[in-house]
Amino acid sequence: MRKKLFAASALLVAATLTLSACGSGDSDNQSVADVSVEAGSDKAATILDQPFEKPDLVLTDTQGKPYDFRAETKGRPTLIYFGYTNCPDVCPLTMNNIAVAKKQLSKADQDKLRIVFVTTDPKRDTPAELGKWLKGIDPQVVGLTGDFATIQAGARTLGISIEPTSKDKNGKTISMHGTQVIAFSPKTDGGYVLYGEDATVDDYTKDLPKIIKGQNP
Amino acid sequence: MRRVPSVTAAVLAGALALTACGGSDSDGSSDGAGLSVGSAYMPQPVSDTMAAGFLVITNKGAAGEVLTRVTSEVAGEVTVHRTVGQTMEEAESLDIPAHGELVLQSGGDHLMFEQLKRKPREGEKVAVQLHFAKTSPITVEMPVKSATYNPKTGH
Repeated sequence: MRKKLFAASALLVAATLTLSACGSGDSDNQSVADVSVEAGSDKAATILDQPFEKPDLVLTDTQGKPYDFRAETKGRPTLIYFGYTNCPDVCPLTMNNIAVAKKQLSKADQDKLRIVFVTTDPKRDTPAELGKWLKGIDPQVVGLTGDFATIQAGARTLGISIEPTSKDKNGKTISMHGTQVIAFSPKTDGGYVLYGEDATVDDYTKDLPKIIKGQNP
Repeated sequence: MRRVPSVTAAVLAGALALTACGGSDSDGSSDGAGLSVGSAYMPQPVSDTMAAGFLVITNKGAAGEVLTRVTSEVAGEVTVHRTVGQTMEEAESLDIPAHGELVLQSGGDHLMFEQLKRKPREGEKVAVQLHFAKTSPITVEMPVKSATYNPKTGH
């Protein structure tokens, strides 16, 4: 994944460094809100020079029905994220950030957008569990579960590396989530924009209207 | 940032340093012996069984301290999780170095509340007890924020 990020401009890299310096507790930094007022330095999005092809994922949705990701999202602006429901921090934050931003779109645009959450923990995330969790975020989000090998292979084609759920030495269950959200263009069906974990509600609110048109945010 | 009147100047300075980046409005609390806690919040959870919590413990003292255990009225179990790459692992204890801080923040190390007794809602406060190797426990009133709360922007 890192290699893909090198496609980002130096400006973007600089912005990212500023953000993470603040995030890591260097408390003498300027607040990010102030820094990000400067045009061009506030992009959460990384535009990919070589877009990803849509992964060939045929999985099960929260109704227990087969869902063919390529067929269902063809020609639709689409966001995909790989996570799991027993994740207290990054997974619900990422999904809620997108859901809150989506609510600020027009009704027509909301209906165009496909938001797909693919579980990385299919053993625990049954269709019913996924459905219950996503209902607390946005019932329009598509939740997919199924065979881990299929999910892992699909994630890999997007540069996302995940391992199966395992137990640690204390018998605690450990799962893994993806590190980014990928946006697919309705024009080309290519995955052309990446968002990291630092992307906020405001970032998605600003960018979604462009992604819905297939434009660069 | 409301502050309890009893906090020392040192603690105040610490709290200000902490919030320079975070802009947090959580109550600072201190044991008066060098440890202080700031920037505490819990995003309103999606799940009705688990939640995350974040805070910063500052150690103004000359000796290191260790966070050994966390308890809360709302959860059957609270564990400290280290984020290692894309996975989390439970930490037995976490060091708070002398003249240093332990930062539990979104995307990094965090508190994980499990077996929730009730679902915390935005606007509530959740009492959390921090237990240390040497210092007596500190109780933090952790505010529940929106599910998308970002301490960097304060909303």
